Parts: sequence; structure tokens; C-alpha cells
Amino acid sequence: MTDGRSRRQVLKAAVAAGGAASLSACLDALGEDTVDRPTGTDDLSTLPNRQFAWDGVVRHDEHGNEQLPRHQILLYLTLERDGRPTDADRRQVERAFASLNRAFEWSHEGVVWSAAYSPAYFDRYDESLPAGIDCPPPHSLSPFEQPTFDEQDVLVHLASDHADAVIAAEEALRGNRESANGVEFDASLSGVASLASDEDRRTGFVGNGMPADRQSELEGVPDDGPVPDASPLFMGFKAGFAQNQATEDRVTIQSGPFADGTTKHVARIRQRLDDWYGEQNFEERVAEMFSPEHADEEWVEGIGENLGDDSRVDETLDTIREQATESGRVGHAQKAARANRDDDGSVKLLRRHFESTDKNVASLHFPSLQREMSSFDAVRAAMNGTDLTEATPVIRQRVNNGILEYIFVANRGNWLVPPLSKRALPRPR
Amino acid sequence: MNRRTFLQAGGTLGAAALAGCSSLISTQPAGNPPVIGDRPAAVYYPTHVEGMDMVGMGEGGDYRFGLMYSYPHRFWNVTGSDTTRTSIGSGDDVHIMASVWDGETMQVLPDTGLSLTIRRDGDIVFEEVVYPMLSQRMGTHYGANAGLAGDGSYEVTVSVGGMSTRRTGAFEGRFEEPASATIEFDYSQSARDGLSRELTPDRAGERAAVDPANMEMMPTGTAPDRDALPDVRGSATSGDAEFVVGTLDSPPAGIDAASTYLYVSPRTPYNQMTLPAMTVEAATGSFDGELTRTLDSELGYHYGTVVDSPGDSVTVTPTVPPQTARHEGYETAFLGFDPMEVSL
Repeated sequence: MTDGRSRRQVLKAAVAAGGAASLSACLDALGEDTVDRPTGTDDLSTLPNRQFAWDGVVRHDEHGNEQLPRHQILLYLTLERDGRPTDADRRQVERAFASLNRAFEWSHEGVVWSAAYSPAYFDRYDESLPAGIDCPPPHSLSPFEQPTFDEQDVLVHLASDHADAVIAAEEALRGNRESANGVEFDASLSGVASLASDEDRRTGFVGNGMPADRQSELEGVPDDGPVPDASPLFMGFKAGFAQNQATEDRVTIQSGPFADGTTKHVARIRQRLDDWYGEQNFEERVAEMFSPEHADEEWVEGIGENLGDDSRVDETLDTIREQATESGRVGHAQKAARANRDDDGSVKLLRRHFESTDKNVASLHFPSLQREMSSFDAVRAAMNGTDLTEATPVIRQRVNNGILEYIFVANRGNWLVPPLSKRALPRPR
Repeated sequence: MNRRTFLQAGGTLGAAALAGCSSLISTQPAGNPPVIGDRPAAVYYPTHVEGMDMVGMGEGGDYRFGLMYSYPHRFWNVTGSDTTRTSIGSGDDVHIMASVWDGETMQVLPDTGLSLTIRRDGDIVFEEVVYPMLSQRMGTHYGANAGLAGDGSYEVTVSVGGMSTRRTGAFEGRFEEPASATIEFDYSQSARDGLSRELTPDRAGERAAVDPANMEMMPTGTAPDRDALPDVRGSATSGDAEFVVGTLDSPPAGIDAASTYLYVSPRTPYNQMTLPAMTVEAATGSFDGELTRTLDSELGYHYGTVVDSPGDSVTVTPTVPPQTARHEGYETAFLGFDPMEVSL
């Protein structure tokens, strides 16, 4: 399989399909016999204690915006054992994780990853999490959603610029093969934690061109292929501008047994873009994604590359009600930003979302990191714009109200990302 | 015009009787007549009347749901005072409609958010936020044109959001939570084509309306009769809508005040359908401001406020027209309003 088109087809479907066959198809397409990516280290002290310290080891664009690894896998794992894990379980998990660190460089060329634990996992223990940890079980975050709550035990999040690397990492971690990237694993998670259903393996991608390349025959995207070629996301715009993202410092838990950890919310969201592209022009999409002021002032060109490292959404917050009344719309980014700033103006949430074609449905996996989960809840409440629906009937619960008309929340989960030193089946204290 | 005549679909007696709205003459034109060029800026009799059929009913949380379908329709979306026509798309198979009501009072809930998800064998074939619409036969309902994947059995999930509209009386504390119900839909194009479609060239454009559907188990979005409303002071007409105005000595349960309550209950002419999702301002005595959109178990959906010292009269000024899409015959009405004066 050497011609460019079929190689691309294989790579496109490989991560979503997963497994040994996909890995070999992927390697065939690359013209390689084995996975050959930079290997890692057996000296954990050389790795950051913050499992989410990705910013220093992934690509950045010319404006300094973090570019998330192109291929990502979320494994929602359930412990095989009822009740508390044993020390033997803990040792096995740590040996598996340490093997993954040996197998792949901690970078976008190797694999960056993290292991996180649900409040339901910590319920296995008699003690509760320390009072300072703000990470409750998942709950509904809008007046209209009825999501499935993800309450599996462990969330392993793998990310790499290379499809073969994430698939090989997953295969070895789950015990489906004994090595990855030429490195033998001392142990796998098999026997301790596994996927309880097909739904618990989720995959995705992000990066310029990847959504357009995958839009054909995809449920949720119109047939005429409207996603711009350059766009990193299905909705046609960039996101995650550096000035509108929290720093890793800002989301880090400062003290206690989980210092250097963070909380992680992950939503799975279906995108229904027929009307987004079919009933709205570019200017209207800009108004609903950013703000009506962005549309009026023509601040956004194309996918928003010209915005550099700042979406300029902070300039639109004070007059949001006037914009709603005058233009009959409010912007997604401007609504959310209202609750996403500290008193000193710094941003609270570090959003690291990526796209998905799992089950052939255009979706979004939305991980967000924050020191306290309540910050995420507050941003989502602001994004609901209920106050604006009360200000004018033109703004409705999900119509003319940012992008709420086009996104359907299917799942929500809350997770505690412990520091690396406690990443293997941590106790709550 | 090339017409083809179809036999009335046999259907299931239960569904037809339930809906009570498949009983028009079965005439199927090759296409819809064009929209009338010189329509009045008011309610008018449409160019054609299409039958619809009940798909089924469901319950979830505080809500009852009814699901109906018809031929794809042209309709008009409303944003502010602007209307935008949505034409029938080439992939559209049906106009699918949901109605939401309270089972205890049989009142239609006209101002919720609603979405429909249609699945076949577990796979999604349609999922959209469905807009509130105003039609002469049903009043407020929620509808969209949808493309399906051919004849077969579908599962339609109707999901309603918790209301943010103020609720009072027996509705206080209700309709807070989202809920959904899934209803089976056995679709076939031949059954759809058996629905009635009557061209109405003799009456089209006349200032009149098609009679409301008479649905035995499902309410339409009708406003309370004027005679049934308490302490009515008068009414006035603007934008072809009638605004019934009343004052109560004290507000409905759920509003914490002891003063006079002023309410305004707007409705369509001929059919008395509720007009939701407007901004209505009023001035009387020392009060001059916006009324609050309110759903009350006795007053129905209305616009109201507490007034400390009402004057001898009230000036009522709708400033934002009903933000509901319009079926044909309503798309030129209720868009612009003059202030009205009603004696108290």
C-alpha cells in the first residue's frame, strides 16, 4: 500500500479502529516494519511530576499557541476487583506505567499521557479525598442536557503526533502485546483494569486539515463538505488561543497529597453541523462562535489564524447584553469567558479538546483542566447564557445562543489527575 | 395544475382518531402553490392545507409529549422582527412536529427548548434543536423538516429542556428539569403520501384562518377564553393580535409581593392561539418597564408584573414580536406593533 491516497485512508481510520490489525496496517502505510519513535527513560525523576505538563514538549504554532498531538486515545478503564485495590495491583499498574515511560519519549514525537481517577474510584476507600480537593461526581451542567455519566475508575489519556505510537502504547498497556516501540513492558494493566465495554474506548484527532480530511460521509457534517481545509476543528475555527488559556501553573493543585495534580472534566459532545453551515453565513458563524462584535468589526479571517495568540474575546464582555439585543445573537466564547477569569484577569481553564469520528459521528472530546472543578461548572453555566435568554426572547435556550444549537452533550466525567508520584491507583489521602 | 388523487390512507384507527386531523380531502398536488405575492400584513388563509398524522405520545418528568408528522413544509424563522423563509430541501421527507403539555391542566408549554433525535437501528439519522413554531391549526408546537433513511422503523427521542420562563400558581417549581421520551415511528412514504393535502385557491390570502385541529387527547396552544380569565379590564388589537389586559388584587402564587398584578394575554385572531416569547412593555402609574414572561396555571402563558400604584389606564407596547417560526398564513402577522391604551 504505497500510493498516497490509500496510505492516508489507512492512517485516518487506524486510531479509531485500534488493535493489532490497525497497527500493522498503519506500519505498512508508513513503509515500516516496526514502530520506530524516540524512546523514553527509566529515570522518572527526569519527568515532570505534573502528568499534564505537556506544554513544554508539544509543538507550538508561530503565535505560540499550544498544538495538541494529532492523535489521541481515551481509555475509560474499570477495575477488575471490587473494593479497594491491593498493593500488588498498585505495583503492577506502576510497572506498566513505568514501562510506557521507557518505551516512548515524553513528547509529541513519542507519547504524552496521563492517568486520572474518578470520584467513584475514590469511593472504594473508607477515607474521602482531602477537603481541599474540589472534584465531585459528574452532574448535569445545563438545563437541557441529560448526559450519561462516566464513572469508570481510571481514565488513561494517550496523545502523540504519530498514530502508530498511540496505538502501540495502548496495545502494550492493555496487555495485547508485550512490547511497544522496541521496548519490552515489565507489566500491563491486564488483570487489574480493563475496558468494560466498547463505549469505553474513545479516540480522536486534532490539527489543521484533519477534520476536512475526515468529513466525507460523516454523520453530523453536511454532505457538501463545508469544513475548511485548514481548520483544526469541525466547526471551522481555531480554538485554544494562548492568551485565552490557563497556564499549567494556574490549574495545578498547590498543596496536600495531590499537589502537582489537577482536576479534569471530559465531555463527549456530538456535533450537528447541518444548520451551522447550511443556514448561516461566515459572518453569522463568527458572531455565534466569538461574538457579534467580532463579526461587525471583521476581526476574524478564515479559520481565525489572523487572531494570533488572542481571540480578543475579553474586549466584548462588557456589552454582551447590548450585542444580544442589537444583533439577536451572542457568541459562545464571549459567554463562557465571563466566568473564566480571575480577579486579576488570568484565565482559569486549560482546555485541550480534540475531534472524533468514533462510530462515524462527528464528535468532540472536551477535556478541560482546572484547579477546582467548580470553575469548570461556572464557565459552563455562563456558556448556557440563561441570563441572556431572560434579557431578551430573541436569545433562546439553544437558539441564537452561541453554539448550543449544534452541540449535544452525550457524556460527562470528572477526574482527579494525581501527580506522577501517585499515578498508580492512589489512596485518597 | 397537474393533480393526482390519492386514496385516504387506511392508517391505524387509533392513531387517526387520536390525532383527529387526518380527515381532510385527499388531494395531492404535484407541488406546493407559490406563496401569495400580495399577502396582507396580517393573518391570512394559506394556499393549501395539509393533513398530519399522530405518530405517538410519551411522558417524561413533568411533561407529556405528542409526536406528529406531515409533508415537509415551507416555514419562516423569526429573529427579532426579521423573517427568513426556510424552503423545503431536496432531502426532506417529512415535517416532524412535537407538542409539549402539562398532563394535569392540559396546557401547552410554549416556551421551552426542544430537540429531536431520530435513530434507526441505533444509528442517528437526524438530531436537531427544533424551533418553536406557530401554526393556525396547532398554535405553538415544535417542528422541523427532516430527511429519513427510507421506509422503516425509527425511534424518535423528544427531549425538552427545563424552562427558564417564570412559573406561577400551580406551576411554581415545576418544569425545572429536562426530560425526554422515545416514541416509535413506523414511516413509509406511501403512508405519508396518503395524508390529505387540499389546495385552497378560493380562500387563499383572505383575512381568515384555518380552523384549529380538534385533537381529542392532545391540547392545542390555545390561550384561555377571555371569559375564563379573572378580572379582565379590557383588550386592544395591534399587529393583528388581540391583547387581553387584566389586573389582580395580588399576584399569583410564586411572586412575593402584595400589590396589584397586571397581566397581558396576547392571542391570535380567529383561533385564539397564545403568542409566546415576546417582549411586552407597559406603563401605568409609577410603573414603566418590561413585563415578565410568565407561565401560570390559571392565566396561561402571559406577560405580567407587580404594579404598586396603577393609573386609570395602561399603555401596552410590544417591542419584540413572538420569537417563534411561522407556518404559512402567520408569517406576515405579529411582527410590528403600535402602543395600545387600555382603561383599568
